[in-house]
Amino acid sequence: MIRCENTVKRYGERTVLDIKELTVNKGSSVALTGANGSGKSTLLKIIAGTTAFEGTVRASGRILYMPQKIIAFDMSVLSNVTFSLKGRKSEKEERAMAALSRVGLKELYKKNALTLSGGECARLSLARILVNDCDILLLDEPTGAVDIEGTEIIENTVREYISEKERTLIIATHSPLQAKRMADRVIMLQKGSIVEDCSPDELLKAPSTEFGKKFVDMWRY
Amino acid sequence: MLLSMDKELIQIIGVTLKMSFFSTLISCLIGMPLGVLIEKGSFFGRGLLKKLSSTLMGLPPVVAGLIVYMLFTRYGIFGSLGLLFTVEVMIVAQVMLITPVVLCLTSSVVSVSGNPLKETARGLGLKRGRTLSLFLIHNRRALLSVVLTAFGRSIAEVGAVSLVGGNIQWKTRVMTTAILLETNKGKFTFALALGIVLLIISLIVNVSASLLSKGGKDSDKM
Repeated sequence: MIRCENTVKRYGERTVLDIKELTVNKGSSVALTGANGSGKSTLLKIIAGTTAFEGTVRASGRILYMPQKIIAFDMSVLSNVTFSLKGRKSEKEERAMAALSRVGLKELYKKNALTLSGGECARLSLARILVNDCDILLLDEPTGAVDIEGTEIIENTVREYISEKERTLIIATHSPLQAKRMADRVIMLQKGSIVEDCSPDELLKAPSTEFGKKFVDMWRY
Repeated sequence: MLLSMDKELIQIIGVTLKMSFFSTLISCLIGMPLGVLIEKGSFFGRGLLKKLSSTLMGLPPVVAGLIVYMLFTRYGIFGSLGLLFTVEVMIVAQVMLITPVVLCLTSSVVSVSGNPLKETARGLGLKRGRTLSLFLIHNRRALLSVVLTAFGRSIAEVGAVSLVGGNIQWKTRVMTTAILLETNKGKFTFALALGIVLLIISLIVNVSASLLSKGGKDSDKM
């Protein structure tokens, strides 16, 4: 379970996130949506523990976090995936190959990761994450620069991973449609505050705020 | 002269390489951690230190030489060590010149890939030591290019080493100061031989640095 209370993030005078209360239950899938600069990434960074903040955030279990800015390490595709693993080389490679196979990059395991395309990089980054076990998975726009086929692979892989065990997923996305495909709850942020907290269907059919309506309409258009 | 490997020529090459190697090594040991600290650390005077190191990148070699000379001269703070006109003091002068270069270049490597890499590493649950090793592996080309640039600068320097080394035959004469002397004496064959060797070494270093930094440029696939 994740619980945020009076969670505030400021950059100097500017408040970029101000969450009074937020609870995400174990095993649930939540999509964070909203415009650029609404606070989606900041909230994920706070939960992942990669940025300082004011207030309280409690999260139980191991957290894995895939940032929005994807970096391919300057080493082979296989080494990218094995890097975070401990244990015997053969075991690590076996697990890494299974993860690469899940994201459709098995054939490229020998290549230097810097030679991969943007979409392949995103899938590699996901494989790097999913080769590990976790309780909470945080994904920051994992398909931001990925084509339709790649998006499908990433979404399917994440869904499979989540369903293997009662894992919690929080995914940041600009798309209400992806939110519907990936989550059972949508939280919409505007200027750092929660403006909608409902099911994906409710958001798509009848957003309760003007901003929500405008946001969803833009996606329909 | 080059083919017969003149004894003095070999000695001069040896002193030059020794001085360049140790000054590069010491500069990297000081400059690289400081470069990381300046870019990532949060302490009082960080901004000033950053500006100072950028300014010192353009420190004229003769000025560095003069400062070191004054420090190590008989009446200087370190005068009692009796190191003036030795290879050791030449290394000190070189370190003074090269460290700001190493520091600034390392700082720029960190500023390019430091944050995204750290965030990715933390997202994977990597501990601090493992994150550092990831940083070093990921940026190995760029960091190696920093080392080679420092070495290139060191081997080609003449002003400071001439001032504090004194260009003493069989002792502190290096390739650049020897070229200067031999040219002044009109011994162009020896100067040319040294020039060719210096050029070959500089060429090897610079080509390696440029090839490696080209590789380093592509090291961040976003």
